[in-house]
Amino acid sequence: MASVVAEREPEFLAARRERAARLTETLALPNFKGTAGWEFTDISALDLEKFTPAPSASNGAAPDRLFAPENATELTQVDAGEATLSGAELPAGVIVGSLEQAAREHPELVERYLGTVVSSDDVFVARNDAGFRGGAFVYVPSGTALEHPILLSQVQSATSTELHRRTLVVIEDGAQAEVWEQYLSASEEVEGVFNTVVELVVSENARLRYVCGQSLSERSWIFGSQRAEVGRDGSLEWVAFGFGSTGGRVRMETRLGGPGADARVTGAYASHARQHIDFDTTQEHAAPNTTSDLAFRGVLQGRSTAVWKGNIIVDPGAQKTDAFQESRNLLVSKRAHADAIPGLEIQANDVRCTHAAAISQLDADQLFYLRSRGLPEDVAKGLVIEGFLSALTERFEPGPVREMLAGALERRLGMILAD
Amino acid sequence: MATPDTEVLPEVPVILTENEQLGKINSDYTERYGFHDAENYLYKAPKGLTRQTVEMISDFKSEPQWMRDFRLKALDHFLARKQPTWGSPMLAEVDYDNIRYFVRASETPSRSWDDVPEDVKRTFDRLGIPEAERKFLSGVGAQYESEVVYHQVHKDLEAQGVIFTDMDTALREHEDLVRKYFATIIPPNDNKLAALNSAVWSGGSFVYVPEGVHVEMPLQAYFRINTENMGQFERTLIIAEPGSYVHYVEGCTAPTYSSDSLHSAVVELIAQPGARIRYTTVQNWSMNVFNLVTKRAVAYEDATVEWVDCNLGSKLTMKYPSIYLLGERAHGEVLSIAFAGAGQHQDAGAKIVHAAPNTTSNIFAKSISKDGGRGSYRGLLEVAKGAHGAKSKVVCDALLLDEHSRSDTYPTIRIGENDVDVGHEATVSKVGEDQLFYLRSHGIPEEEASKLIVNGFIEPITKELPMEYAVEMNRLIELQMEGSIG
Repeated sequence: MASVVAEREPEFLAARRERAARLTETLALPNFKGTAGWEFTDISALDLEKFTPAPSASNGAAPDRLFAPENATELTQVDAGEATLSGAELPAGVIVGSLEQAAREHPELVERYLGTVVSSDDVFVARNDAGFRGGAFVYVPSGTALEHPILLSQVQSATSTELHRRTLVVIEDGAQAEVWEQYLSASEEVEGVFNTVVELVVSENARLRYVCGQSLSERSWIFGSQRAEVGRDGSLEWVAFGFGSTGGRVRMETRLGGPGADARVTGAYASHARQHIDFDTTQEHAAPNTTSDLAFRGVLQGRSTAVWKGNIIVDPGAQKTDAFQESRNLLVSKRAHADAIPGLEIQANDVRCTHAAAISQLDADQLFYLRSRGLPEDVAKGLVIEGFLSALTERFEPGPVREMLAGALERRLGMILAD
Repeated sequence: MATPDTEVLPEVPVILTENEQLGKINSDYTERYGFHDAENYLYKAPKGLTRQTVEMISDFKSEPQWMRDFRLKALDHFLARKQPTWGSPMLAEVDYDNIRYFVRASETPSRSWDDVPEDVKRTFDRLGIPEAERKFLSGVGAQYESEVVYHQVHKDLEAQGVIFTDMDTALREHEDLVRKYFATIIPPNDNKLAALNSAVWSGGSFVYVPEGVHVEMPLQAYFRINTENMGQFERTLIIAEPGSYVHYVEGCTAPTYSSDSLHSAVVELIAQPGARIRYTTVQNWSMNVFNLVTKRAVAYEDATVEWVDCNLGSKLTMKYPSIYLLGERAHGEVLSIAFAGAGQHQDAGAKIVHAAPNTTSNIFAKSISKDGGRGSYRGLLEVAKGAHGAKSKVVCDALLLDEHSRSDTYPTIRIGENDVDVGHEATVSKVGEDQLFYLRSHGIPEEEASKLIVNGFIEPITKELPMEYAVEMNRLIELQMEGSIG
């Protein structure tokens, strides 16, 4: 089956896959504490031999969705099956479809961008390069502003499978788009490896809002290498929600490559039981007059653990950089554990870089106050935590985007607080 | 709704009122510290490290068997461990085979300056050490190459049972005390450099302060390297019995040579219940010294440990003074000040581990990089499970004075207890006239906040050291004050 698909592939893609497959043979899985970047996430319990490639046909039930933006053009893929496209019509020149299909129909376009943002020297990226099926491609040509959002959904329904999700979003000069992406498991019984690579290209004067949330089963592993390249005067708003999975690590990197580029990154995770969440963020300022603003908040229940590692890098010559990063964790349970590792690497002197990190508890005074007003303890807790997370949702204008983000957070909180 | 959060300080940019002030730091190093003496040594080991080197050091010192065994075991750890790859790429340049591991300049530590060899005495005179002793200190130790050449402590302190001597003498005269505490805080296999020190240690200070005794004026040790490709491995142990207080100050310099020397100390502090130890370092090695030091303290209940760590010199410094807060209400403070000029990498920082309830800590770090220098803050703040009610604050500020220099901040926060309150803030900024103007034109609360932090940390101990070699440190502390006052 795989070979049939491969035969129909354009030369460049087949060659990429072959190179990557060879690379996977030379790259070992990262060793806890022995591999830079993996000091806080132990994946020794992961045995990839036990997982088979995601099947191309499956009949899993449709899971609850994390996001459902109105009037969206939707591209949905289950396991490695054919993606289905539905919803609003797209303006001329806009492409939304499976990445493999796009590689056949617009080879020059896909070849120009695929693999240019995320480099393949990582074992999980190489596995993805070699093995992704379907995938998502969003292309918005110069000067086109999309009126309605795009919703990309990837469902993993077959258990004991390894799914390589690949997403490429290209917003050409002066274009604008809003793209939502969600990773879901068909049920809590699914035990999968979900390996995502996302490449975002935001060209000159372009604007992209990209919201990516995962609500995988808590028996699944997640690995992610997601990176954005923002050109001159381009603007990226990136939101990440990490709710599901048992463990793994997701890298989110933004490179501000052109003068005047701007990125605003907002992340939230909410964990319970024995989940382990690992987000590793980078804000690289490679050009002068660039700005970035990153805020992460996490709520930890049960025996769950979380690590956020964030780095601001200012390259030589990137003067007038203004960068900020902040990570705050709220430990709801006595047995939860959180690590925050902010970092600054600065090689230009006319800059302003600030970061902040805090890990704190539920405020006993606030809880007491609410309970003295007759609220049951769980309701009071919920209100205090909502207050903690509202600082994130308030980064968005009042309206449907903020409501959808707040709604997703609220549903997740309801779940972990029910423990 | 207000979040149940740590108190967040407003960011506090540091303002240099006089940039030129910084330009003067170490500009006259060669004349002031970079000279060297003729070598009329009793013994100078050949370069390189073998089992014979370690046995030779032990023989020279006529040590008890347990110490000899300790050294040899540590040597095995050193040889078995790989050179660390984190921290600084310069670490790869350390050539362990091109170092002399033991150099003896005089017979036994003298209690009179008159008995110190002429060359050596001249050096310390030039550095102002005997002068300082008379004026401000409770005791002085002076180490030249591998061993301490002079030691003196005020008679009344001796009468109260205070011990301040060099580590070699302590091992001879107070073996039980040394054996009880030596390497209990930093085991020989803690890291490669601690293993190296454990194998070839020589000199350093031993301080013992009996229960309830307050040593009002600081004890000082001054470390001097004279010869080229020297390895200095002093070993310091300070024990403060319940309710006692001591302030220990160390300074160091070396001649400027074209090839590298290595300084790798191990320093252990033990603050028993209610005791307070303040340890101040003014590190000003010459530009050819690798300074790779392990410093760690434990604080039992109601005890306080303070590290004031000022790094001006050396080619590469990697040093993260640590405090383990082991008893309830113990308190730890680190003030880390680093200055990185051309060719320098100051990889400094602090580690604090809260391992008991209601413990508190503060870390304040300031780094300044110029002329292509690199200043890094690397820190750890950990709250272990069960350390409920812990409170900590970490504030890092960095200044880059030109576009060729680099600043890094790597603070790690690990929290395993939910009833805690920790916060971290860091700012890297340029010295801007506009900021200066802004601060001057406002009576803004940021200044107040920052002033309170600094004062709260420095008081009630005098913040300035009157020693000549501490002038730069005082200037940098002052800088912080000026910045906060605006």
